[in-house]
Amino acid sequence: MDLSVQQFRSKAEQDYLDLYTKAEKALPGAGNPFVAALRADAIKAYGRLGLPHRRIEAWKYTDLRARIDEVHPLVTALGIPVSDEALEAALGSAIAAFPAYRIVIVEGELRVDLSDMSGLREAGVEVSSLSHLLEMPPEWLKAALGQVNPREDDAVLALNTALMTGGVALRLPEGLTLGKPIHLVHLDGTGEAASTFTRNVIAAEAGASATVLESYGSLGMTGLQRNAVTEIKIGDKAAINHIKIQREAPETIHLNVWLAALGADARYNGFQLSTGAALARNQVYVAFNGEGSSADISGACLGRDRQHCDTTLVVEHRVPACDSRELFKVVLDDEARGIFQGKVIVSPDAQKTDGKQMAQALLLSETAEFDSKPELEIFADDVVCGHGATSGQIDEDLLFYLESRGLPEPEARAMLIQAFVGEAFEVVDDEALREAFNAASAAWLGVEAG
Amino acid sequence: MLEIKNLHANVDGREILKGLDLTLPTGEVHAIMGPNGSGKSTLAYVLAGKEDYEVTEGSITWNGKDLLDLDPSARAATGVFLAFQYPMEIPGVATMTFLRSAVNAVRKARGEDELSTPDFMRLVKEKAKGLKIDAEMLRRPLNVGFSGGEKKRNEILQMALLEPSLCVLDETDSGLDIDALRIVADGVNALRSKERSMLVITHYQRLLDYIVPDKVHVLSKGRVARSGGPELALELEKTGYAEFGGEATAA
Repeated sequence: MDLSVQQFRSKAEQDYLDLYTKAEKALPGAGNPFVAALRADAIKAYGRLGLPHRRIEAWKYTDLRARIDEVHPLVTALGIPVSDEALEAALGSAIAAFPAYRIVIVEGELRVDLSDMSGLREAGVEVSSLSHLLEMPPEWLKAALGQVNPREDDAVLALNTALMTGGVALRLPEGLTLGKPIHLVHLDGTGEAASTFTRNVIAAEAGASATVLESYGSLGMTGLQRNAVTEIKIGDKAAINHIKIQREAPETIHLNVWLAALGADARYNGFQLSTGAALARNQVYVAFNGEGSSADISGACLGRDRQHCDTTLVVEHRVPACDSRELFKVVLDDEARGIFQGKVIVSPDAQKTDGKQMAQALLLSETAEFDSKPELEIFADDVVCGHGATSGQIDEDLLFYLESRGLPEPEARAMLIQAFVGEAFEVVDDEALREAFNAASAAWLGVEAG
Repeated sequence: MLEIKNLHANVDGREILKGLDLTLPTGEVHAIMGPNGSGKSTLAYVLAGKEDYEVTEGSITWNGKDLLDLDPSARAATGVFLAFQYPMEIPGVATMTFLRSAVNAVRKARGEDELSTPDFMRLVKEKAKGLKIDAEMLRRPLNVGFSGGEKKRNEILQMALLEPSLCVLDETDSGLDIDALRIVADGVNALRSKERSMLVITHYQRLLDYIVPDKVHVLSKGRVARSGGPELALELEKTGYAEFGGEATAA
């Protein structure tokens, strides 16, 4: 009797497998046994997991199996011309002009012609296109790629590992303090509807400090399916600000995973601002592997129409005496839906853990929806952990106060919304970035930045 | 000139103002006194146009213009200013940003050019000085962590910057010690002019020692029960509001 179980696959689930089978031999690093094995394991894991759906607790509110009907082919366009105007339109002027070492990735391809890396290598940073390094990965990359904070249960991550075709590998050597931020620009949507799988790997060695900004924008509008992963290894006493701004075209499906791991006495400030895409799932996994470290993972999401913006965090306190903070602000209009899931795991050894989490939503319409799910799994007894969530409307008394000072109602409303999200921006140390975020939220509201 | 005729207003379906009549000529300062619950603050909110204060009957005109037709920001543009009894705290809005947005919104609505940053800074500095408001306070989020006195000084600063023609001060003396009261009163007195009318709402006579009114009106049960000169306030100081439906103890 045949006892094998026939597994049902949706069309999209099968499409991803086919995508891999078709592309396998041509993927970067196909000839390298380390990379080939990594990819083979990953596609096997995906085959087992399938696309996440609502019966999986972590995907309760974001059912990818239901949302993705079919999978677009891999991006193939190379060397597409991109004007300064197009880049500015895709990112917004404040982000486009943000003073930084700029590395531009178009359709997964690192574009030296659009980038400005002058001085970056001289400052001591090793920087390379990931595709290039995959052909013969150096030891430091092997130690990081897929190893920083591995997740066995994440199908989005597994697909990315199987199919990663672009992105940047950065190595910040021991003790390096990088004065100017690094800006990784991700632009897509120049051709037909496509899928893209980019992977960034950042290895910050002991004592290194830097700010890395990732921006995601669309050059055209063609139903992009994005899968973007960043792995970031933070050595002892290293300090990294890691910031993301996503303002993709309204058809986009944006699946993003950040995997971060901290050594001892290290600092990680993560921040994400999302205003674009039809569906965005932002996953951040943080692991404390060394004592005395701290992480702040914050962000804001602005949604309208039928946008769906999901932020899912898993913070693992594996060792004693680490602090974690999360503050997320969500503004939703029309029929937009926002989700915040924050899981904090404190293992039995992780005494003196201090973890605090807050998610706040401002609902601008009766039909907008915010779901918040904090989860604390605490196995140690000497810890301080807390979480909170609020959801509300604009305070009419505050609105009246502003209007009574001459601000017309729409402006008064915009000022209050900006004040609400602005609180989350406070975590961002870089003043120019904070201003860029204020400009982005003002642009979303259709007003001038205050 | 402010003319209020037979004003009836409801809050949460309850009638608070019940046929109030009041005339405030241009350039005069009138005090509104009265026991708790007589409708003083309701009158202030109705003048400024708060949404949930429903006018069911009567009229309010300011220099012949029907105020009830205008939304709160249009009233501000036309010259109405309410100094709040409890100014709102708004985290995330820097006081300076707020002041600048308000001044420019009002200027725009009045058909004037917006002020440049240096011009605005100069103006704020000049007006803030007399109110003992320093630059540090202006950098803080609006009214957040301000003491009672700081909040009231900030209200008067806004009044000075927006150059209203009708000032309504709602219990501006509440929560102030004597030094803070003097600063606030000096700020108000500096704004007295032939073109500007003021309605000073207060429960206590104390404020009127510093801001001497041309006339005093006593509200009771949603109407003006008695009007008189400044001596009426002194009389109330002795007798209390007993005859106006308040408690018999002197204020």
